[in-house]
Amino acid sequence: MDEVFKALADPSRRTLLDALFTEDGQTLSALEARLPMTRFGVMKHLKVLEEARLVTSKRRGREKLHFLNPVPIRLIHDRWVSKYAEPWAAGLSELKKDIETKE
Amino acid sequence: MEKVFEIYIKTTPERLWEAITDEETRQKYNFGVGVSSDWTPGSRYESVHPQAGIAIAEGENLEVEPPRRLVQSFTALWSDQVKDEGVSRVTWEIEPVGSSCRLTVTHDQLREGANDELYGGWPMILSGLKTLLESGELLDTPGSLRYSGASADTE
Repeated sequence: MDEVFKALADPSRRTLLDALFTEDGQTLSALEARLPMTRFGVMKHLKVLEEARLVTSKRRGREKLHFLNPVPIRLIHDRWVSKYAEPWAAGLSELKKDIETKE
Repeated sequence: MEKVFEIYIKTTPERLWEAITDEETRQKYNFGVGVSSDWTPGSRYESVHPQAGIAIAEGENLEVEPPRRLVQSFTALWSDQVKDEGVSRVTWEIEPVGSSCRLTVTHDQLREGANDELYGGWPMILSGLKTLLESGELLDTPGSLRYSGASADTE
């Protein structure tokens, strides 16, 4: 679990996860082309994300495709968001989204 | 479109295989829905919600290699919207790692921009499976209970 928080604590790595959330199964080159990061930067951050299991990869011929694995985040959620707290947390999260998108 | 979900669970491949294929065990972490089949290659399987009697999903067991690999075709049946998505494919892969197993669920052959209800439940299901196998307890977050009939008091 330490690795998950460490991986998420960096804005560049969150941007990488956002890119995979938008389009899953991307190659290193595709990610590099899309983000304001060097190839080395993307590789370094992907390694941290893979170690935290937030990114999982598959070989497809000569290509390595990267996928967002949301399961570790679900495990964190299930550890602390109890049965009774979730409806409140979901409601407040919706409220924040509604208000912020109206501005 | 392809989605990949991965989790480490401290258990044996045999126990994990049983938890995936045993109808009653499956109900404990799969939104209350089990799966019934004779698990021979090429056989059919179906998931029916036991209380509501509603068909949730069905398909064919394309590859059955206990306790390592299960490939299934998947047709979601719980609403007209998901029925329109047609047939996709779910691959379960179990790999022992030390005293644990890595379980990878790959849901592919999905239409580009497919309804996210089709694959959005996997993190909750896998989290519940991990809790069940590692602690023997049921995960009781409302998400995991939403369709199990036990959540009426929280919704």
